Amino acid sequence: MKAHPVLSIQRSSERQLSNHGASGALSSSLPVLSSTLEEKYSMLPNCQQLLMERELVNTNSLALHASLPSNKGVVGPMLASTSGFSTDLQFSSVVPLERHSRKSFLISQSSDNGASMLLTHHSRTLQSTMSSNSDCWSKESLPNFFEYPVNTPSMDIQAGSNNNGGCVMTEELCKQNDWQVWADQLINDGDSLTSNWNEIFVDTNIEDPESKEMKSATKILTTQPQALQQISSPSLESSSLNLASSASSAPNKTRMHWTPELHEAFVEAVNKLGGGEKATPKGVLKLMKVEGLTIYHVKSHLQKYRTARYRPDSLEGSSEKKLTPIKEVASLDLKTGVEITEALRLQMELQKCLHEQLEIQRNLQLQIEEQGRYLKMIFERQSGAGDLLKASSPSSLGSSSAQTTDNVPSSPSKNEPSCSRLDNGESENARADAITASVQLLSGPTPSPQSE
Amino acid sequence: MKFGKRLKRQIQESLPSWRDKFLSYKDLKKLVRLISSAPAAAANGSSEYGKAEAEFVYLLNSEIEKFNAFFMEEEEDFIIRHKELQQRIQRAIGTWGPNGNQPSQIDYGKEMEKIRKDIVDFHGEMVLLMNYSNINYTGLAKILKKYDKRTGGLLRSLFIQKVLQQPFFTTDLISQLAKECESSIDALFTVAEEEQVWGGREAIKVSGEGIFRNTVQALLTMQEIRRASSTYSHFSLPPLNLPDSDLMLLFQLNSPIPIP
Repeated sequence: MKAHPVLSIQRSSERQLSNHGASGALSSSLPVLSSTLEEKYSMLPNCQQLLMERELVNTNSLALHASLPSNKGVVGPMLASTSGFSTDLQFSSVVPLERHSRKSFLISQSSDNGASMLLTHHSRTLQSTMSSNSDCWSKESLPNFFEYPVNTPSMDIQAGSNNNGGCVMTEELCKQNDWQVWADQLINDGDSLTSNWNEIFVDTNIEDPESKEMKSATKILTTQPQALQQISSPSLESSSLNLASSASSAPNKTRMHWTPELHEAFVEAVNKLGGGEKATPKGVLKLMKVEGLTIYHVKSHLQKYRTARYRPDSLEGSSEKKLTPIKEVASLDLKTGVEITEALRLQMELQKCLHEQLEIQRNLQLQIEEQGRYLKMIFERQSGAGDLLKASSPSSLGSSSAQTTDNVPSSPSKNEPSCSRLDNGESENARADAITASVQLLSGPTPSPQSE
Repeated sequence: MKFGKRLKRQIQESLPSWRDKFLSYKDLKKLVRLISSAPAAAANGSSEYGKAEAEFVYLLNSEIEKFNAFFMEEEEDFIIRHKELQQRIQRAIGTWGPNGNQPSQIDYGKEMEKIRKDIVDFHGEMVLLMNYSNINYTGLAKILKKYDKRTGGLLRSLFIQKVLQQPFFTTDLISQLAKECESSIDALFTVAEEEQVWGGREAIKVSGEGIFRNTVQALLTMQEIRRASSTYSHFSLPPLNLPDSDLMLLFQLNSPIPIP
């Protein structure tokens, strides 16, 4: 299974690089590429773990663990694949699975490119487990690996490597963003590659605001995408290559998730090297020995660290420029020292209040969604069982919605603004309420016999 | 449009550098209207419909990416600042504190004052970041709901699952840091206990901008959003009853920016 993705990436990378006219450099680096890709694949889980420590809701453990939040350039138009720009042929072939594939793309959208391979794969699994509990691992894995052919601008290549219908056409929209991002990963992974890639990316270290890419993307979307495909692809390439350097002033858009522990390690390393001014990113990187950490991460973090340390006033003031300085008032009159303390106290109280409310609100939101999902699952199971006994399904659905309508009026009273009350005991009723909601939701697009 | 207005107000009151990082609710709404205003397309040309949907999703995804990027940048900053504050406290205690190297009440007091203010502001910023996260989430949930309603799609439930796991929505770390600030500020406030309990309103006028005003705005907005509306459903949050909302409305006065 591993061999396939490696090969596909290889192939597509080869094509892309040749598109960029760097084929010379490429051929020598290909063997290096393949080995690095293997490394990359083994490293990815670590990377993701490092990056994604916080995961909240995990109903389908494996799939959702893999379908991690993005830490880099997003693959928005992957969704577009089936629906958007595909030809009728492709679309029709997808129609029975329409919802499925859409959903799978949805889930897999905002992920690492490399990770996305695993992701799409997992998302398919997720989808299938959610709906039909079938195991399509081996069958689906291959096509999935082709779903992200990593943006080749030219159509013929896409046509060749495409296994999965509409996703081809969206590549130019995925933007070489992905390619760049994916390529960046390779940079991160292997020092050996760095020199090769640097050659190729000679002109990519150009800062460009992210918004530019988004604007151009939207522009392209609003016009005929297929017509634009070939025309705009060169501009897309360049804009996305430029874009990649925006985030951290380096051709690397991977976002590192810093934690206090990681920062502690950073500070230790810095101190060992003689302090914030003396320490070099490379030295710190070596000392820290954290997998997945790149020199770009360290560089930007070091910069922030220096700013915070050696210019604390400017840092504090930078984000609060509009703040009327209290200090000025304090210097005028000693009495106002009391005022200031009081003002601070008040401010703190208010902030605490907001904090608390936000926590509560967030927990509620999570619970609501979780219960919605749970009920959806139940509902689907129910309707799945109902298919076997066709006659009973409308009536069973009808009866369940009839039941739950009784519970509807009581729902607002149950949801008190304190999480402690929404415990499992209450959730039964809340879930029943949500059945109605999910019934409405799911029966929306498809005509169903029962009335609501 | 109510949420849109509230969001706009929140953005106006927010810290300047944050203003363009919020959800482009209006744009997304326009897109939804555009999509739903062509219902024939949905029936006939599925590619047309699909294209519009793709555009919508693309926009959503880019918004999410925007949130994530901003959020993680800020989070990184907060982690660094948090550590620095702790070290400053240690240094102050160690140098000017009663048991320190050069005990000096004046210096200690001054430094502690500065630190207190910095902690409070730091805490405030973190909480505002959490608010940012939450309000964007709310906006996304609303726009997805609108989308599903107008187009009969099933985008919402799945998309929201994805959103729930995004870095910008996982605010646990920030919350933890904020709690630590709360406990340290409690400790520090008792250190410099002043007897007089002033009506701090006058002082508030002075410090009325920036974080404080933003916090007030955030709380009030939250309360307004959660008021029962016509579309109150099982997915809606319950009403929020803040104890001091009258007081807070008062703080909204002296607004330099005219609130529409």
